[in-house]
Amino acid sequence: MTKPISLKAVLIAICLVALLSGCAGHRTKGPSDPTAAPAPTPTGVALSTADETTPPAGSDDMSLWEDDLDWNDEGAGVFYTVADPLEPFNRTMFVFNDKLYFWVLKPVAQGYRFAVPRPARSGVRNFFNNLGAPIRIANNILQGRFQTAEAEVARFLFNSTVGVLGFGNPAADVEGLNPEPTDLGLTLGHYGIGNGFYLVWPVLGPSTLRDSAGYFGDRWLNPTIYIDPIEASLAVFALRSINTVSFHIGDYEAIKSAALDPYQAMRDAYIQLRRSKLR
Amino acid sequence: MGIKPMVITLIVLSLWVGAAAAAVASPSPMETVRERIDQVIAVLNDPAGADSAHRAAQRDRLWEIASPMFDFVEISRRTVGPKWQEFSDDEKARFTDVFTRFLGNTYLDRVQGEYQNEKIEYVQELVREPLALVRTKLVREAVEMPIDYRMRQTDGQWKIYDILVENGVSIVQNYRVQFQSILQKESPAALIQRLEQRLEEQGR
Repeated sequence: MTKPISLKAVLIAICLVALLSGCAGHRTKGPSDPTAAPAPTPTGVALSTADETTPPAGSDDMSLWEDDLDWNDEGAGVFYTVADPLEPFNRTMFVFNDKLYFWVLKPVAQGYRFAVPRPARSGVRNFFNNLGAPIRIANNILQGRFQTAEAEVARFLFNSTVGVLGFGNPAADVEGLNPEPTDLGLTLGHYGIGNGFYLVWPVLGPSTLRDSAGYFGDRWLNPTIYIDPIEASLAVFALRSINTVSFHIGDYEAIKSAALDPYQAMRDAYIQLRRSKLR
Repeated sequence: MGIKPMVITLIVLSLWVGAAAAAVASPSPMETVRERIDQVIAVLNDPAGADSAHRAAQRDRLWEIASPMFDFVEISRRTVGPKWQEFSDDEKARFTDVFTRFLGNTYLDRVQGEYQNEKIEYVQELVREPLALVRTKLVREAVEMPIDYRMRQTDGQWKIYDILVENGVSIVQNYRVQFQSILQKESPAALIQRLEQRLEEQGR
């Protein structure tokens, strides 16, 4: 009897770490999208929604000029960055995740990609994105973005019904039903809480103190953590990760090959990405 | 006596015509990008470049098309940041040269190696002279990736000086972070040497 129990304890331990962040695939794959991002569109068809999904032009777009002005005005080389007091630990975790990706995640995702046709993989992705709706709804409400929360609710209902339990994403083609994803890390940031410091989790990849706390909070609204037994819950987590990676094979490699110091490149990409979501 | 006003009129007229011609000749930021990217995609779609024998030729052709889109001096200046002042003229030139080749190799490898019929959507063009932002989306499989081009107008030509991916991750800043940490400990010459080393590793 002791053997299964200890195995279970190990699994729980792994799972606890895993659940701090709901989607390893997102994090390990690079700066593409660390939040529980809904797919903007399942195909490239939704050309017409491209403009509408961008919030009313003006301030938001113009914020992309920011860095430029900063640079010209100050010239002091001040740029947005993050404290990294745990750098030696983080670098070790970075190497661990790097090996995990190349030795396990990538080969498995490649096989999966070969075996499972694209529509099925899109379906899996849509399904998990749809399950992330409670997190996004709650955080939009916490941030006072009631219209966006409403859009999330509408999309959830639409995709869960017309989209057959969320495997389809018919909302992608509907104007106003493609709000930007959010999470508790962003909610905390919205109320002025800073990054704290940079933190690289094994398996889950880049994060910060604030975003880790956010993940820990968000997980209570993630239905897949309540799956019993825990092995099944982990299997679901693995499936989601592999499925996500199957869409992004090559992205991490590209970042790595383009960098002089891949660790710093990833850290900066993560920090810039999170900041851009806070704008 | 009547000759002077006529000369002035001629000068004014020629200036005006010249300016008008320049205005017609220089395409908008988005047109500039779109025109080049369309050509790049045409070359990538050309089956003649698919076999390995023609790969090098295809690569040269891609570089020929793409490189005039970029202002590599400006890119170099911005990636180095304020330490640029500490570079000698020779170092500036050498850095620009090696970094240009490094970027070219890195991104040509990627474009050539991984092109899978991606589509580019041209979303928006924001102009605040002499700066502009061209917003595009790269659509691959079922994944969309926003790519925005920061451009600057010099001599009537719009050139890219930074690329933003995922709505705000600046490639220039990403390199600046890395270069800054090297330059805190090492000389400009050492940074140039590191880049040269990377180029050698890339085998080109």
